[in-house]
Amino acid sequence: MGRIVGGIGSSHAPSFGPVYDKGQQKDPMWAPLFDGYVPVRTWLEALRPDLFIVVYNDHGNQFFFNSYPTFALGASEMYPQADEGWGKRDLPDMRGDPDFSWHLARNLIDDEFDPTICQEMSVDHGVMSFMPMLTDTRWPVPIVPFAVNVIQHPVPKARRLYKLGQAFRRAVESYPKDIRVVVFGTGGLSHQLQGARFGFTDPDWDNEFLDRLETDPEPLAALSHREYMERGGTEGIEMMNWLPMRAALGPKVKRIGRTYHAPMITGYGLLALEPV
Amino acid sequence: MLDEISGAPVFTGERSRAGYRLNRMAMSLTDPANRAAFVADETDYLHGMGLSESEVDLVRRRDWKGMIEAGGNIYLIIKIAGALGIALYEVGAHTAGMSLEQFMAQRKGR
Repeated sequence: MGRIVGGIGSSHAPSFGPVYDKGQQKDPMWAPLFDGYVPVRTWLEALRPDLFIVVYNDHGNQFFFNSYPTFALGASEMYPQADEGWGKRDLPDMRGDPDFSWHLARNLIDDEFDPTICQEMSVDHGVMSFMPMLTDTRWPVPIVPFAVNVIQHPVPKARRLYKLGQAFRRAVESYPKDIRVVVFGTGGLSHQLQGARFGFTDPDWDNEFLDRLETDPEPLAALSHREYMERGGTEGIEMMNWLPMRAALGPKVKRIGRTYHAPMITGYGLLALEPV
Repeated sequence: MLDEISGAPVFTGERSRAGYRLNRMAMSLTDPANRAAFVADETDYLHGMGLSESEVDLVRRRDWKGMIEAGGNIYLIIKIAGALGIALYEVGAHTAGMSLEQFMAQRKGR
């Protein structure tokens, strides 16, 4: 039987991947963020995970509005890096686990979630920006990317994403192989990339979100889209992607690491949790 | 229906429909060959992608605020800026009705 052994919430952004690639982790503007990833990486390696499920959103790279899926599940052996319009980072394509992906597809559909299933899929900074900070870039652990539409409204409700995480857990626990799975939720935290409030972040809201996600997550699933966007920005609604990660862990968790830093126009957060 | 939050448009289906060609053109710039063609002859490239004269004009004038109002999605619009070597801060400041310098000065004051 499979087991969920950890959960990681992380911001994703085009900005901080290249900062890391250039070896500028100790730059005073960025060090408070990157320093937080170091112990989480050590913990993650010690967990000896066999698979990462990564809940994220695409940014007009794999998917366009000609056919934009509400939920899309990767079922490929390889996930190439998308060129987002300014060239790729020097990173190899990521490996997948199609056997698990199809198992997950069957279980999610049994559970009344109906994702688009993608046998060819590129992944953008939603998956790749933070991954080199947490694992070897030869990608020893295969991934199953799970894309959520949080950019073209109507987008799924927070409650739906919470229940999705519970369905992930059932699917992992019904897998015949003894695999150790870590679930990622990526996006946010507060940021506003356009309009009158461009550049807005709210560290109070972001930290409240991190507190509540750890100790009492269910009420976060009851918040409306308006509440997420008023408090975290229209683009900050991405933080709903963290809900499946938390729900997959079950009611009680132990905190392994937590970091928050808002040096530019995004509230960057990292939260690592273990089920207890 | 949610249409705007604190002065920022919410990217609804209606906006997506209005901005479809503009966003489709922007996505085409994920291909390096298309970026080169765009930079070499913007007007020709934009016409070739089926943009209306007013949409061509918005891009030519770097009217980022106008592009968002015309249904541009920020994640797509920044690909146009990226191809032109213009950074997100300049785009975002413009959508807020500010120059980059005004935006940076305002941030310093916080």
